[in-house]
Amino acid sequence: MATPVIMPRQGQSVESCIIGKWHKAVGDTVAVGDILFTYETDKATFDEEAKEAGTLLGIFFEEGDDVPCLTTVCAIGNAGEDISALKPAGEEAEAAPAEEKKEEAPAAAAAVVAAPVTAERKDNVFISPRAKALAEKHNVDYNFANGTGPNGRVIERDIQAMIDAGLMTTPAAAGNYDSSITGTGIGGRISLNDLNAPAAAAAEAAIPEAEFEEVKLPTIRKVIAKSMHTSLSTMAQLTLNTSFDASNIMQYRSFVKDNMERLGLANITLNDIVLYAVSRTVLNHKDANAHFYDDKMVFFKNVNLGLAVDSPRGLIVPTIFNANKKSLNDIATEAKALAKKCKEGTITPDEMSGGTITVTNLGSFGIESFTPVINPPQTCILGVDTIETKIKEVNGEYKYYPAMGLSLTFDHRALDGAPAAKFLKELKQNLENFSILLAK
Amino acid sequence: MPKSQYMDPNVLRAPGYVEFENIPVNQYKKTIKQEMKNFSNEDFVRIYRDMAIIREFETMLYAIKTTSEYNGVSYNNPGPAHLSMGQEASSVGQAYLLGKDDYIFGSHRSHGEILAKGLSTIEKLDDKELYDIMENFLGGKTLKVVEDKQKSVKELAIDFLVYGALAEVFARETGFHKGLGGSMHAFFLPFGIYPNNAIVGGSATIATGAALFKKVNEKNGIVVSNIGDGSMGRGPVWEAMMFGSMDQYKQLWDEAHRGGLPIIFNFFNNLYGMGGQTCGETMPYNILARVGAGVNPEQLHAERVDGYNPLAVIDAMRRKIKVLKEKKGPVLMDTLTYRYTGHSPSDAMTYRTKEEVEAWQEQDSLISYKNKLIEAGVAKEEQFAEIGEYVTNLITKTCKMASDETISPRMDLYAVPDQIESIMLSNQSIEKMEDRPCDVLMPMEENPRVQQIAKKERFAFDANGKPVSKNKVFQLRDALFEAIIDRYYKDPTLISYGEDVRDWGGAYAVYRGLTEAIPYHRLFNSPISEAAIVGSAVGYAMAGGRAVVELMYCDFLGCAGDEVFNQLAKWQSMSAGLLKMPVVLRVSVGSKYGAQHSQDWTALVSHIPGLKAIFPTTPYDAKGLMNAALNGTDPVICFESQRIYDVGEQFHEGGVPEEYYEIPIGEPDIKRKGNDITILTVGSTLYTALKAADELQEKYGISAEVIDARSVVPFNYDLVIESVKKTGKIVLASDACERSSILKEFASNITDLAFDYLDAPPVVVGSRNWITPAFELEEHFFPQADWIIDAISERILPIPGYTATHNFTDGEKLRRAKLGV
Repeated sequence: MATPVIMPRQGQSVESCIIGKWHKAVGDTVAVGDILFTYETDKATFDEEAKEAGTLLGIFFEEGDDVPCLTTVCAIGNAGEDISALKPAGEEAEAAPAEEKKEEAPAAAAAVVAAPVTAERKDNVFISPRAKALAEKHNVDYNFANGTGPNGRVIERDIQAMIDAGLMTTPAAAGNYDSSITGTGIGGRISLNDLNAPAAAAAEAAIPEAEFEEVKLPTIRKVIAKSMHTSLSTMAQLTLNTSFDASNIMQYRSFVKDNMERLGLANITLNDIVLYAVSRTVLNHKDANAHFYDDKMVFFKNVNLGLAVDSPRGLIVPTIFNANKKSLNDIATEAKALAKKCKEGTITPDEMSGGTITVTNLGSFGIESFTPVINPPQTCILGVDTIETKIKEVNGEYKYYPAMGLSLTFDHRALDGAPAAKFLKELKQNLENFSILLAK
Repeated sequence: MPKSQYMDPNVLRAPGYVEFENIPVNQYKKTIKQEMKNFSNEDFVRIYRDMAIIREFETMLYAIKTTSEYNGVSYNNPGPAHLSMGQEASSVGQAYLLGKDDYIFGSHRSHGEILAKGLSTIEKLDDKELYDIMENFLGGKTLKVVEDKQKSVKELAIDFLVYGALAEVFARETGFHKGLGGSMHAFFLPFGIYPNNAIVGGSATIATGAALFKKVNEKNGIVVSNIGDGSMGRGPVWEAMMFGSMDQYKQLWDEAHRGGLPIIFNFFNNLYGMGGQTCGETMPYNILARVGAGVNPEQLHAERVDGYNPLAVIDAMRRKIKVLKEKKGPVLMDTLTYRYTGHSPSDAMTYRTKEEVEAWQEQDSLISYKNKLIEAGVAKEEQFAEIGEYVTNLITKTCKMASDETISPRMDLYAVPDQIESIMLSNQSIEKMEDRPCDVLMPMEENPRVQQIAKKERFAFDANGKPVSKNKVFQLRDALFEAIIDRYYKDPTLISYGEDVRDWGGAYAVYRGLTEAIPYHRLFNSPISEAAIVGSAVGYAMAGGRAVVELMYCDFLGCAGDEVFNQLAKWQSMSAGLLKMPVVLRVSVGSKYGAQHSQDWTALVSHIPGLKAIFPTTPYDAKGLMNAALNGTDPVICFESQRIYDVGEQFHEGGVPEEYYEIPIGEPDIKRKGNDITILTVGSTLYTALKAADELQEKYGISAEVIDARSVVPFNYDLVIESVKKTGKIVLASDACERSSILKEFASNITDLAFDYLDAPPVVVGSRNWITPAFELEEHFFPQADWIIDAISERILPIPGYTATHNFTDGEKLRRAKLGV
């Protein structure tokens, strides 16, 4: 039987050796002590002598090849013997570059954060110099930042998140957070005019005294102002208005109201019903339950409903997570609880994050139609308007019915008019046939 | 390990005895009369004069040190003064036959040797040469102080010599090297006076290197290493004797270079190593000359000479110089002498009796020699009185000038704050240290390694981006080889040595192929004597050559600690820029061999001013940086990681150029561009960092910019700061133990320079502050890719959903620091 000649291991650290020169060729007769080949380690050149006599039957590596130690290099035996079993496996295989392409781009950790702001202004915030510089550059009040660095340190990405969320103030308004003004924008949102009003007013008030009250803006007001302005100035927003026959939901609401104690239900409002309907409808329109970024869109599998709440400190948008999986009663209960927290100021950053679509309601103020402002990076916001009595023709008869308005603002960058209208249409149908929707 | 030398067991195992020749002890017996054929009367008297000048110079220093006053000159000298009163005959006797081509190296107690050698050289030089030397030295600044048209050139030269030496002792800018060496480091190259050395025995290895220079480059003259009896206790002295006496000089080197080194290991044996009595207390040899018998079959031609008689020393020197000229060196001389004062003026001499000192003073060399000359009718008492008067005037005048702030100002660091800074490194580019043909054995293109390399791929990936196999790719070791062999064919003075560099080709095969191309005298194996390897390279460079030497492991730097930290690093600046130090010291950083063979000591080197340090990690960088180091004039420590000797070039587009190019030392390099975080690495950790960067990108969407420091000293922070300004975040990683590593220095400076841009403090990821464990446990010790990611997530940028597996918390940092681990 043929004898394999292995590449010796010359010392523990040697993993492989390079064949220097073959002194014998295949078919040569070999005597014990003949030099078969020379081989080189990192450190030296060695001669490999034959330990068996016979014929060199096969050479598995060429001069210059790098051979792992203990691998069979050649075989000696009797002429004609089969040496195929001695041939080292996979000698040709070279380490292929292990470059696996990841299928999906991972989220950038440098930017991933939970809620960008905390409800309360904090004292003694620990912030990195870089984050501080960024905050100052963009007029972000880092005292509201939700620090996600080591030990809660506010780091660059936290400020960037606030900037991305538009939570900035104007340079002129920066630092004036200790009071509040009433926003005159839609839904009580503060507009640029509101921000400028006190200053302008102060100037005008210089002569007649006490005609004006000059009020410093609280941080949240400034945050809202900046957010709104950023939203409007960076997105392609437009609003579609429609209305629907609210008979069905009013009837349902009335029934619940009358029987809530007996049935153990929450006080389900018309707004809760709209929330429910949105949660059950929007998943059919994925563009509307999404986040839009400059170079990508993120579509959500569940519906996290943003709920615009007017609080004493301004507009706050808490989130009802996974609303599509919750019952109407649950949604109603949670919406109330969240609104309460907003009013009490106990809402946490986590509860204000992650919304995928927002519903805002100015109907109670008698607003017939308005232009809600999108909460970026969401793509839609649904405004709920007041109920007006309208007339429609039913079987040749004019019939009065209560019509509730819906104002859907969408980001035209993310979706076009037709898909947005389709969403609104389905929502309208669901609301008009709410009891059927409930049954689904 | 030459195969030509057969270790025959039959011969080696045969019984026998080692036989010794008698070692002469104070065998000089000639009378003045017998010596008259060797010396004229003037010669005899001049010997006395030289001894008297030294005696008065030292007396003056003693007075200044102890009373702050000498002959009406008041001065306070806070610097050291290790005096040699009593030893004058030994130094004058030694110098008598030496000229400017003969080099002496000294110790901390060598004022006498400098003056003696200077006086002897002045006597031998003709007036024109002498005046040119003085006029051209430091732009004539020193000469200007003593210039006196009334005097002969030789008289003037004596004033110049004594003044230059004293001004140096007093740290004056007009001193022999602008006062930057001082008492213990004074020298004057034009007279063949090479540096004295404050490290006991420090000159032994350096002088050996100078002797090597003379031998390799076929220069005239001999070299004397003047060290004390106390230095025989020092390892580097023994290493120098081993290195200087290697068999190969006589057995293997080619005909033109065959034979022993032209060096005298001269021990001025004043019987005390500081206070330790070397005969009877601290040393075992009884008579120092005995040691020669232990070194080589020639017993180093060792001899004890009566250093109290200048003629005995001259006689011995005459015989020993002949031995060296016959290429039978080295020589060991045990020059017996005695110092009257203490080790230094603060020495209370508690270790010897007054009677002993007085007994030697009774036989004082100046008095007994003078008496012999008078007795033999060579000179009259009055002549000696005249000499006495001349000497007192000379020393008084010199002391006055050297202590005068206006005549002899100190370096004004207020006016020119960068004067010392500007000489810490010489930063020159010199292709060859001498212009003559290079001794080589074959044209470079015929070299087998060169031919082998020609077949290799010079970039790590082929046209399809597929990695080229290890054995086909141009490796980092090839890159170093290419730079070194290129210099061998350019600079005739370039030599290289270390352990197993010849035949074996270096432990990591960098030198493989050089054996065929380069003769023995330019490439040879040294004994395992790290101190001598580095120390001799220092001497070789001082004498005018260029050397690239190797320590097989970075861990052995400790064995050459003094030579790297005090000699290699300091001589350019202590010489005020008069000396250049074109030495590249290659040290290899291991990984698999445990605690004493795996350390990255860049931090140690970087801490010592005067060294450059590089750590190339790619073939392109290795060739470019090695070229820059070899073309420069500064000492460069080249760290090489054993992990990556076989890597191909993965970064530089087009691969490693075949032609010559340099990469400036001190410039880091971006190996991968990124935006979110910077990773700065030193050494082979680059490749670990790239792995971490891959994972950060693929799994967490974090784009890391990876920068390879490439150099440690000097280091241009611009690129790193620019990167940090972009990313706001930086991790630094290397295989060095984390505590006090060079990364900490980098981190500190980055914090200083980019504080306002930082989103978190720079984080250092180094090895644990442990011993390096066995190879199988190394992943617990050396930084791994996941350590880097852990550190980022824990200390810089928490990564959502990422769980660290290593503890980078504050608490853990504190705990480790508290425990010192």
